[in-house]
Amino acid sequence: MRPFHPQYIFEALPQLILYLPVTAAIVIGTVFFGSLLGIFLAAGRIRRGRVGRVFANLYIYVIRCVPSIVLLFLIYYGLPEFLNVFGININDAGKGFFVITTFSLLFAASMAEVFRSAYEAVDRGQREAAVSIGLTEFQAFYRIVLPQCVRVAIPNFTNALVNLMKEGSLAYTIGLIDIMGKGQLMIGQNHGSYSLEIYLALFLLYWGLTILVEKGAGIWERRLSPVKQEKGGAGKCS
Amino acid sequence: MLQVKNVQKAFGENQVLRGVTIEVKKGDIVVILGPSGSGKTTLLRCLNFLERADGGTMDFDEIHTELKSASKAVVSKVRKKTAFVFQNYNLFQNKTALENVMEGLAVARKVPKEEALARAKAALDKVGLSKRYDYYPSQLSGGQQQRVGIARAIAVNPDVLLFDEPTSALDPELIGEVLAVMKKLAKEGATMIVVTHEMTFAQEVASKVIFMDGGVIVEQGSAEQIFTKPKEERTIQFLRRVLKDYDYVI
Amino acid sequence: MQLDTQFMLTTFLHVLQGIPVTLNIVVVTLLCAAPLGFLMAVSKSGEGKIGRRIIAAYVSVIRGTPVVLQILFLYSLLPTVLNYLIKGVLGLSFNIFTIDPIFYAYVVFILNTTAVLSEVFRSALSTVNKGQLEAALSIGMSAPQAYVRIIIPQALVSALPNICNTTVSLLKSTSLAFMMTVKDITAIAKIDASFGYNYLEAYLVIFVVYIFLCSGVQGVFHLTERGAAAYKKPAVS
Repeated sequence: MRPFHPQYIFEALPQLILYLPVTAAIVIGTVFFGSLLGIFLAAGRIRRGRVGRVFANLYIYVIRCVPSIVLLFLIYYGLPEFLNVFGININDAGKGFFVITTFSLLFAASMAEVFRSAYEAVDRGQREAAVSIGLTEFQAFYRIVLPQCVRVAIPNFTNALVNLMKEGSLAYTIGLIDIMGKGQLMIGQNHGSYSLEIYLALFLLYWGLTILVEKGAGIWERRLSPVKQEKGGAGKCS
Repeated sequence: MLQVKNVQKAFGENQVLRGVTIEVKKGDIVVILGPSGSGKTTLLRCLNFLERADGGTMDFDEIHTELKSASKAVVSKVRKKTAFVFQNYNLFQNKTALENVMEGLAVARKVPKEEALARAKAALDKVGLSKRYDYYPSQLSGGQQQRVGIARAIAVNPDVLLFDEPTSALDPELIGEVLAVMKKLAKEGATMIVVTHEMTFAQEVASKVIFMDGGVIVEQGSAEQIFTKPKEERTIQFLRRVLKDYDYVI
Repeated sequence: MQLDTQFMLTTFLHVLQGIPVTLNIVVVTLLCAAPLGFLMAVSKSGEGKIGRRIIAAYVSVIRGTPVVLQILFLYSLLPTVLNYLIKGVLGLSFNIFTIDPIFYAYVVFILNTTAVLSEVFRSALSTVNKGQLEAALSIGMSAPQAYVRIIIPQALVSALPNICNTTVSLLKSTSLAFMMTVKDITAIAKIDASFGYNYLEAYLVIFVVYIFLCSGVQGVFHLTERGAAAYKKPAVS
């Protein structure tokens, strides 16, 4: 059996944490661009227009079927050639650009579903009631409908975010140095030794991040929830 | 035939049954009345061990048992001698009407399939659903579903039928068809314990009416006694309230 | 941009040989993970407190970390551990390093999918109304009979859409099996591409292949759902 040094897990952790900002930047960039695209897709599905709906459905269907790594390779190797046809040169773009592009395309499909189901979950009567007491359309949306949508959307959004974080670890396969990339780099520098310890350190990091995100989302959701009535003490009978 | 003594049951802090004793003879139609929260549904559920009582005893033909510590075998025996009709039907959603009725025969009692089929059909015919054998619950109206529920209960030839507010979940226009089936069973001599809010049913059919409030039996007697000469103040108040609410005339 | 169509065609034919490998991993994984996941779902609602804690931690770790990390970790752990066990403990002369790498893929994906399915089954079981169990008991069925005949069939139907989702993401995750030197669809495309630097063409080909496979999976589930949910169809009369 190969030697195992648990203390190396904790020696590796600080070095990996140094690259946490890279992982965070990828996630934040993807959430931003992915959500933008997701809004358009959701609108396409909700609105009457047939073309928009067919396109949005097709997009979501295709994205749902494609492994992240295949799309990542396709974008990384294919996008420069493709844009070259239009005279756009992105050969010098950083790896982060390709990673964020890939995961925005993926994340948008999840977000489209998040937006759509949140929108549909809020009862139409809410807007009508708001307008009927004299609020403007904008006020009705901003003050009444939107807050309810957000609360409904939080669990699904959290799911999508955690997924993004996990899938984002594939970025190392095209050479991006985030926490995962740094881990692989360290293993390479050690000529393969300490790999188990470094992977365990990464497990701790990703697991911690997921728990952090989920706990945070839970708190956010509770703060937006209307005060719930205290549960009655005993079971109902008769 | 069936007697339970001193039944006690609490949900957490809330004492729901505070020592209830009832006796049922063969052919009795016992109707239990009472405001919501009085413990009448819980009592019925304790009889079928859907709730485990905290105290009390049961004598059921040859069976004698503590309610709290009844063994699995005893519970199973009691359940095979009784049948339960639920407020919200609880038909098996993944089975047709016929299959719903057959389950209790073919699976629980190991009745041969041919015989189970014949008995299930007879039970459904009896409740007037001979044209709905192969319908799933989701394809039936509430009244039809409850009649399947009753068919499922009578198919196993139970000694006692337990009805837990069988019409409370129904739209007013569907209540009649279910009550008609229950009256028919009563006439044929079935032994029934019925928790209900249907006062006319109680008046017309009950051989014994029990009024419960706050986890105890306040008063019991024949339908005539309870409805025309109630003795207890709480009974009088209850009857005045419900009979006015429901617009019934004594 | 000039796509090398000749290359794409030969790659496509090559890749077809990888489909059985991919499907093999998916099917074996599901067949093993489904019963394990179900057992976990049931014991999660069971009595033992320690067992429940362990299961909860296992599910949390698996669901909270990237599949690729699980693959890399197990692929560097398993061979040496197995080698030690076989040579050192059992004293056999079997060479573990000649084992077909697909077995490592099985282990990784079964561990992963079991965790996901246990959550799927748990929530499916909770969707079945409590009254269904009560009704089954009230007509004299035993608890196991009630589960097998009434509760589980209904839970399975409500779990089908999530099982479909799980299968689709399992199918996608198998694209990482190349890291364990399994010759699946992605691995074949990668090898073909690296000969002449035809990455774009190779990945376009498997892009399409994955869409077809995924459509096939969804189609199968769609048909199953329609058959299994017959009892949910609305009234006809």
